[in-house]
Amino acid sequence: MRRRIFPSILLSLSVFSHLVVAAEDTQSLAIRAGRIWTVTDGVITDGVIIVKDGKIHAVGKEPDVPAEAKILDMSDKDVIPGLIDAHCHVGLSLDIFAEIDEIVSAVTPDMQILDAFDPLAEDVTKARSSGVTTVMLAPGNKNPIAGQTAIVKLYGNKMNDWVLKRKGGVKLSLRDEALMSDRRPTSRAGLMALLREQLNEGKAYKDDEYDPCGEVLKRVADGNVPAYICACTVDEIASAVTLVDEYGLKAVLIGAEKGDEIADIIAERDIPVIYAPLLLFSKDKDLKRVVKLANSGIKLAFSSTAPKTALHDLRTSAILATKYGLNPEVAIKSLTIHAAEILGIADRVGSIEKGKDADLVILNGDPLQLTSNIEMVIINGHIVYKRQEE
Amino acid sequence: MMDYKRIVVVPSLLLLLMFTSTFGGQDIAIRGGNILTINDAPIENGIILIKDGKIEALGQDVMIPADVRTIDASNKFVMPGLIDAQSRLFVIDSELRESRTIAPELNIIDAIDPFIKEYREVLAQGVTVIYVAPGSRSLVGGRGAVLKLNGSKTADKMVLKTDVAVKAAIGVSPNNESSSLTRLEHYSSIREALLETKVYMQRKEKYDRELAEYKEKKAEYEKKDGEREAEKKEKPKRPAKFRPNPTYEVLAKVIRKEIPLQIEAHRVSDILNALRLADEFDFSLILDKCTEGYMISDEIARRKVPVIVGPVSTSFVDMPRLEYRNHDMRNAAILSRRRIKLALGVSGRDGASSKFILSAAAMAVANGMDKDAALRAITLTPAEIFGVADRIGSLEVGKDADIVILNRHPLDALTQVKTVLIEGKVVFERKTEQ
Repeated sequence: MRRRIFPSILLSLSVFSHLVVAAEDTQSLAIRAGRIWTVTDGVITDGVIIVKDGKIHAVGKEPDVPAEAKILDMSDKDVIPGLIDAHCHVGLSLDIFAEIDEIVSAVTPDMQILDAFDPLAEDVTKARSSGVTTVMLAPGNKNPIAGQTAIVKLYGNKMNDWVLKRKGGVKLSLRDEALMSDRRPTSRAGLMALLREQLNEGKAYKDDEYDPCGEVLKRVADGNVPAYICACTVDEIASAVTLVDEYGLKAVLIGAEKGDEIADIIAERDIPVIYAPLLLFSKDKDLKRVVKLANSGIKLAFSSTAPKTALHDLRTSAILATKYGLNPEVAIKSLTIHAAEILGIADRVGSIEKGKDADLVILNGDPLQLTSNIEMVIINGHIVYKRQEE
Repeated sequence: MMDYKRIVVVPSLLLLLMFTSTFGGQDIAIRGGNILTINDAPIENGIILIKDGKIEALGQDVMIPADVRTIDASNKFVMPGLIDAQSRLFVIDSELRESRTIAPELNIIDAIDPFIKEYREVLAQGVTVIYVAPGSRSLVGGRGAVLKLNGSKTADKMVLKTDVAVKAAIGVSPNNESSSLTRLEHYSSIREALLETKVYMQRKEKYDRELAEYKEKKAEYEKKDGEREAEKKEKPKRPAKFRPNPTYEVLAKVIRKEIPLQIEAHRVSDILNALRLADEFDFSLILDKCTEGYMISDEIARRKVPVIVGPVSTSFVDMPRLEYRNHDMRNAAILSRRRIKLALGVSGRDGASSKFILSAAAMAVANGMDKDAALRAITLTPAEIFGVADRIGSLEVGKDADIVILNRHPLDALTQVKTVLIEGKVVFERKTEQ
């Protein structure tokens, strides 16, 4: 089969190295906080976080404060780990008319979304104020095999600081949007047939031939990289589960709006879910679905799918979920450590623990209250956002 | 307006009371709650006595008569029913796609579908009253109305007030396309309509005058006709027939300040144009949406124009929208600090979104708005802006007993509405924990 290798926007490393965001340079910090939500080890009241070389050096009631550390007095504030938006399109210059999918061909696993990422885009700057410090960038839903996702920080001095994973996994789409009248697939069954064909080709791929698509498909088919499968309705999710059963994919569901209807089937297979933005729903029945998913023991992350909803709505979604019955502890973990685990970056981010990246969000109150606002955001030990009145 | 209310609402209420269950006409006392009156200081551990659907008494030492049903609100918060000043509930979208650009004679009441079930979910979040207005597809789209979520099966019986305002829009693009030229065109088209209305008013005035003169002369002529036939004078001529125009009739009311003009405007230039129109024609302006109002808050404050800010957050809106390009969640806080009369709205993507009014207020607070001001902006202030504050908006003796009981402070994310009363009748009661 012939595949179209499309031109991708290549941004060289040298370009990125100049993209320094104005931020306060901090050698080491000592943050006194009213409450530290470690997420993995409870809440520490009146504690201190020591930040050194962009990492969390110590956290506790009374850790040793290095003499050179700049002290941030946040003793009436709450500190949480940087939030993780597990599925969005920020920085992809996706204004109203733009396209992020390479729709000429239905199968574009060699497309790397990072190539379209502009770290200086306006929405990235805006996103920093939302408390989101790490995002998974993904292609859209128009191609059954849409391309490779990337996991990036929303701040960096150099390209290496920005990128946690250039090839985060491959996004598959089982959505109606992937069906078109002028190219394969045109039907739901045709979509599944195409995916099987491609995964079989991937399995048969040998390293000695040069095929950028085959190489990626092999890793997906072998379960070496995650398959982020976008599926929202019950039948789409059922199809995703079928693929998981047939090929042993390392799957993560994206969207899964109606996943609660077959929550047991998803839970049985330990398939984690990156849930659709909760704010897209307004009916009580739909707002409660995420609660049922979580109660079935499925590991959850939230997503903004920005620009569909704003990045600051990530936290709003989680808060709304608590209003409809989601356990608050699960809500905050879904925004942080669970998202990190699902994306395979929990060694770097997702909690306030010694050795992890110093990605911290400081709020003027309980992070799960809508009345609380974000006062400061720190990424890799740099203060990248400070709230200003008017 | 008073007459209309009396004629429609009171008999319909009586009918309702006649047909409803035991609690319908019964007097009720709400006891032990932390009462957020909104117009006055909160009353700790207070009592509200309801009689005939109205608040009969409230305070700490109100005597509860022996025979009334008592609702225990201890450890709970009691506040007036919430108002979403930018609701789409009961309104069918297709009904709003009027193709004419200037159509103030339309009435939103005619586009109401009372059989939309989501209203129950909105009511369950404490919203007892909504303001619905035509959309922004037409430049002047028709007249808005204030409705009670009382479960009536006809629009007439939900109405608290019609002809609340004539809705207009400047610079709103239905297809996310906009140029400064089309926005200027919107402004001039509305201005033209108002100028034509003035001409129409003058013509009508002239006609009325001429008609009166004619009648006078005619009577005189006929009288003389009988008396002295010889001195026959010229027969008076009837003035040319005047054809009343429904469009101008409504806009004339705007110019005479009998009904406010509610102008939806998002960008600075559009808001300024709305203010210029109000300066030129001296009508009562209500600014709606006012997305970039924070950039020119002094201009708005100087004119004492009331504003309906919304969406507070774009959370409940289908994004991206061109109008919200410079949306800032601090908008409400900044305008409110300038002492601008301000209501908050959800302005959500559908009717059910009105249920998020408390979330919207909480987000305004997160962005600097005073807590009490935020609660006022979803109760008393919209009631004042829409001219229904004599009936609703605060807990005061004599007002309608539209009351919400919550288990936590209304701005707490985990708060749950336990009971909702409309005109003294329990219309919602939460049975189980959510």
